Amino acid sequence: MRNVSKLILLFLVCITYNSILAQTDTASTQDEEDYSIYDNLEFADESAKRFASIKLTGKSPDKLISIGYDYQGGYDLNAGAFSIYPEEEARVTATHGTRVEANIPVISKNSIIIQAGLSYWDVNYDFKDKATLLNPLNQRLADKGLNTINFSTTVYKPLNETTFIIGQVSVGISGDYAMDELQSSKYNRYSGAILWGKRPSDYMQWAIGLSRSYRAGELNYFPLLMYNWTSYDRKWGIESLLPARGDVRYSFNPRSLLFFGFDLEGTSYRIGNDGKALDAPYNDLEIRRCELRFRFKYEKQLSGFIWVSAKVGYRYDYLFYVDQVNNGEEFFRGFFGDQEYAMENKLTNPLFFNFSINLVSP
Amino acid sequence: MDFLRKSLLFVSFLCFVVILNAQDEKADRLIGVWEPSSGKAKVKIDKIGGKYYGKIVWLREPLDPETQKPKVDKNNPDENMRSTPLRGYRMLKDFEYTDKDEWTEGTIYDPENGSTYNCIIKMTDANTLDIRGYIGVTALGRTDVWKRLKLPPRKKK
Repeated sequence: MRNVSKLILLFLVCITYNSILAQTDTASTQDEEDYSIYDNLEFADESAKRFASIKLTGKSPDKLISIGYDYQGGYDLNAGAFSIYPEEEARVTATHGTRVEANIPVISKNSIIIQAGLSYWDVNYDFKDKATLLNPLNQRLADKGLNTINFSTTVYKPLNETTFIIGQVSVGISGDYAMDELQSSKYNRYSGAILWGKRPSDYMQWAIGLSRSYRAGELNYFPLLMYNWTSYDRKWGIESLLPARGDVRYSFNPRSLLFFGFDLEGTSYRIGNDGKALDAPYNDLEIRRCELRFRFKYEKQLSGFIWVSAKVGYRYDYLFYVDQVNNGEEFFRGFFGDQEYAMENKLTNPLFFNFSINLVSP
Repeated sequence: MDFLRKSLLFVSFLCFVVILNAQDEKADRLIGVWEPSSGKAKVKIDKIGGKYYGKIVWLREPLDPETQKPKVDKNNPDENMRSTPLRGYRMLKDFEYTDKDEWTEGTIYDPENGSTYNCIIKMTDANTLDIRGYIGVTALGRTDVWKRLKLPPRKKK
């Protein structure tokens, strides 16, 4: 018995000594670390590669979830003549609505990142003297407003240490539908974009590409230019994806950022006629809505991963015309097409503000 | 009979110790030098007091372009930490091994923005780590893939 006890004791002493020795060794190397030995290390797995990172020094954080509110001040809406209804000038006292967006990485590896996106915007129109409105466009906007739901998938694929490709496909469901009664899928609008780019340093990335988009209100094809840059002192930067948005950024510090730039916002909204409020055959009307927003934006870390964003600026009406789209079958007008619009409407331009609270990505 | 019982006791104890050591060996696979996907740094992971910690041992851009001095942790929300050199900074802290090739309960610090995130480390193969920084729930996060670097043989003193 005594021999067994001695053996166990010896074992325990050996293990304890080994552990202490290991810990002491680890701690001591911290103090006497020769960092030069890490200068020229190679991957343990010789087949491993380095890839261009999607992250850029100094760039504003990506938003995983955003909940916001958008408000435009008063303006005049001149609805064009339509069917038996004459042109009508109305006063919109405010246009406002919530904006909820989520962009969640589904796959996140060095060699590929796939992100799923979902956004919901609603737009409500408050008219002065609503009861006196006659033009069906004004009546519809006053009664139902507009909704848009957008699903997207974005793929970032680095090809090597400096070159990358970005692809995005999305489907938009936009119209004056109620959330409990979505419109037919034949009115869905599909968009896509592809970009090829370079990331020559941690401070700059650029890309060129092409998109099929409804951002200008109606179907169109645009060349794309992405340019993101940060100055070495990290105070100044540019964040742009033209023609969709462009910003000059000033960083008070990494948690407090000021931007000046613009957003091009738009899509095509189907106006339903299931209740036969409009005369036949106007069941397939779409508002081609596009706004150019020049604005200041301030983003600040509120606490931890919660950031707030506030925008204030001037909304310029680029397009608010109406097309007849038979049975939801889209057509291409582009910049030079001569197809006539069903209604030609004009909006004056108000100030706007937008406030959102955001959960940002690590 | 008495001898048999004592021998069984000793063998059981021996088995227990061997299992513990094997578990330690599995956990210690995390120890080494790793490169994050950005390639901007190299991080050495060590074991201290039964937990795993990772410190920055190399920076692609060691000098601050503005001051031309060694980079410090100037984005840290704690003002007292803003003069701490980034090289040698412990950015991974307090990781404990679970028996699923995962190290949990730790945090990761991002010197780029001064934020600290919850973190899970998963070893997908001997030379690859999935480092998932997340906010509250793991679904709200981002995974970065780190690759093991080959250390040169130690010089004899």
